[in-house]
Amino acid sequence: MNLAWKEMKKNKARFLILGSIVFLVSLLTFIISGLANGLSQDNAALIKDLPKGQFYMTKDSDQTYNLSKIDASTEDKILKNTQDAVAFSIQMGFLNDPGEKQRSVAFVTSTNTKSKLFPNIKKGEVVLDSSMKDKGIKIGDALTNNQYSGKLTVKGFVEQKKFSHAPVAYININDYKEIYRVKEMQLVFVPGDKSPKHITGLQSFSKKEFLNTIPSFNAEQMSLNMIVWFLVIISGMLFAIFFYMMNVQKIGLYGILKAIGIKTRKLFQMMWTQMVFITIISLVLSIAFSQIFNLVAPKGMPFSLTFETTFLLSIVFLIIGFIGATLSGIQIRKVEPLQAIQQGEV
Amino acid sequence: MPLFTLDEVRKTFTNGEIKEEILKGINLSLKEGEITALVGASGSGKSTLLTIAAGLQPATNGQVVFNGNNIATMNDEQIRQIRASEFGFVFQFAHLVPFLTVEEQLLLMLDVSESKLNKHEQKTEIDRILKLVEMEHRKDAYPSSLSGGEKQRVAIARAIIHKPKILFADEPTASLDSKKSKDVMMLIRELTKTLNITTLMVTHDEEMLSYVDRVVKMSDGLVIEK
Ligand SMILES: Nc1ncnc2c1ncn2[C@@H]1O[C@H](COP(=O)(O)OP(=O)(O)O)[C@@H](O)[C@H]1O
Ligand SMILES: [Mg+2]
Repeated sequence: MNLAWKEMKKNKARFLILGSIVFLVSLLTFIISGLANGLSQDNAALIKDLPKGQFYMTKDSDQTYNLSKIDASTEDKILKNTQDAVAFSIQMGFLNDPGEKQRSVAFVTSTNTKSKLFPNIKKGEVVLDSSMKDKGIKIGDALTNNQYSGKLTVKGFVEQKKFSHAPVAYININDYKEIYRVKEMQLVFVPGDKSPKHITGLQSFSKKEFLNTIPSFNAEQMSLNMIVWFLVIISGMLFAIFFYMMNVQKIGLYGILKAIGIKTRKLFQMMWTQMVFITIISLVLSIAFSQIFNLVAPKGMPFSLTFETTFLLSIVFLIIGFIGATLSGIQIRKVEPLQAIQQGEV
Repeated sequence: MPLFTLDEVRKTFTNGEIKEEILKGINLSLKEGEITALVGASGSGKSTLLTIAAGLQPATNGQVVFNGNNIATMNDEQIRQIRASEFGFVFQFAHLVPFLTVEEQLLLMLDVSESKLNKHEQKTEIDRILKLVEMEHRKDAYPSSLSGGEKQRVAIARAIIHKPKILFADEPTASLDSKKSKDVMMLIRELTKTLNITTLMVTHDEEMLSYVDRVVKMSDGLVIEK
């Protein structure tokens, strides 16, 4: 006989409450983790979307990429030796749109036009992150910059290229040099799995290490990830507490069932069945809700929830729920049938 | 050979420093098919004796022999199996499972005792027993909607549905009024006689003794035949 099912059918309210707690906590966790991922995307999609590889900047820059100036001879040496390598620079700045409104952007330029890592931009042209479209900028618009003599014509848009929460503006290397009055590039990127090369005067960074040198990135991700894991732990404790309370209420019942000869294993199975059933239904609901949120979230809100993340978190929830329920269920083993009988009516 | 024998059973409870011997060498045999009533003052150790006999707690010393096997030396799983298939229990309170209907209470017991009956035979058997306890019209009711007497009749049905060898009852009528108590007593007698179930029953109600075959009295940790 399926005791687990029979009990849930009779005590719908109790299990509904448990289910809605699991639902709310997991939904909150999904949303926060979507936000964390969205913010990280908004902060560094430009870098995150690059393939695996090594970043190099000068040692004296003290891990601050916009203080780095790689001299031309070193740059040449690396670029000659490694086909796909590319030197590039990033600077925060402004573009004035046709309505003379200042738009904050991250200017990006690169040397190697053959590598497909960065788009190939002609002099006097600019390619923008698609979020600029929402600001009313169209292909063909002429944009200006206070340090730049000519005009930059919008040639096209790219999806999801952000740096430091600003839309990326790809420009030609000569235009970049004019705007920022520099000759050197800040960074060299060497794609591939190879271990970092030792180059005098330069320091190498993996992608993750490089992301962590971006001042806001590290702090932001750390606090958001902390919230996510706190929520996971709290939900685990909620599970344990709820099952504990339900089990305490049922001590008498467990005692009677044991007295008439039910196996302890059957009682655990009953609890596990209920836990898995409630958790899966709640998780399916909160996955659905978080995906709907993903669709309807306002465009400006950095929110990005991948299926992998949701799936991974769901598995963690299931495991934590299982552990919580099982820990609280240890008392089932301790129940003496005799106690229950002497305690009177359940 | 008697079906069930208690041989020099002793039980000592320790409360901190104080040791108290409640059972001081009980010798008692149950004859097959007989109803034995266990009487005695409150606190004399009747419930302790009954639960030791039923395998719900161990004796400190002595033998509990059922069907030639000493329960006192069995492990938990072996005792559980005997409780599930050879013993039936009725207590002062019905202790029904709150989320099961009357019919399901009995189905559960058949399940626990690993009944060999198929689904259809189980239903027929349940109907038959429910008719005997006059509860067939409440087959689909949950315990919360039953009266005390009705609950106790369901508890009795549950205690015998799997045809146990022995029925243990601890003051089964204590929570009922005198009219209902008589009904329940008569029911227990009728059922155990038809099904040839041996019964050990604790009671403190003199009126009930006219329904039993034999009365033993607990006094000073020992039993005396009355
Ligand atoms: N688990 C226990 N621990 C300590 N003392 C107990 C325990 N169970 C019963 N007793 C004591 O044993 C004595 C007999 O109890 P019990 O068998 O319930 O008596 P009766 O059923 O005859 O009223 C009582 O004094 C009771 O306090
Ligand atoms: Mg008693």
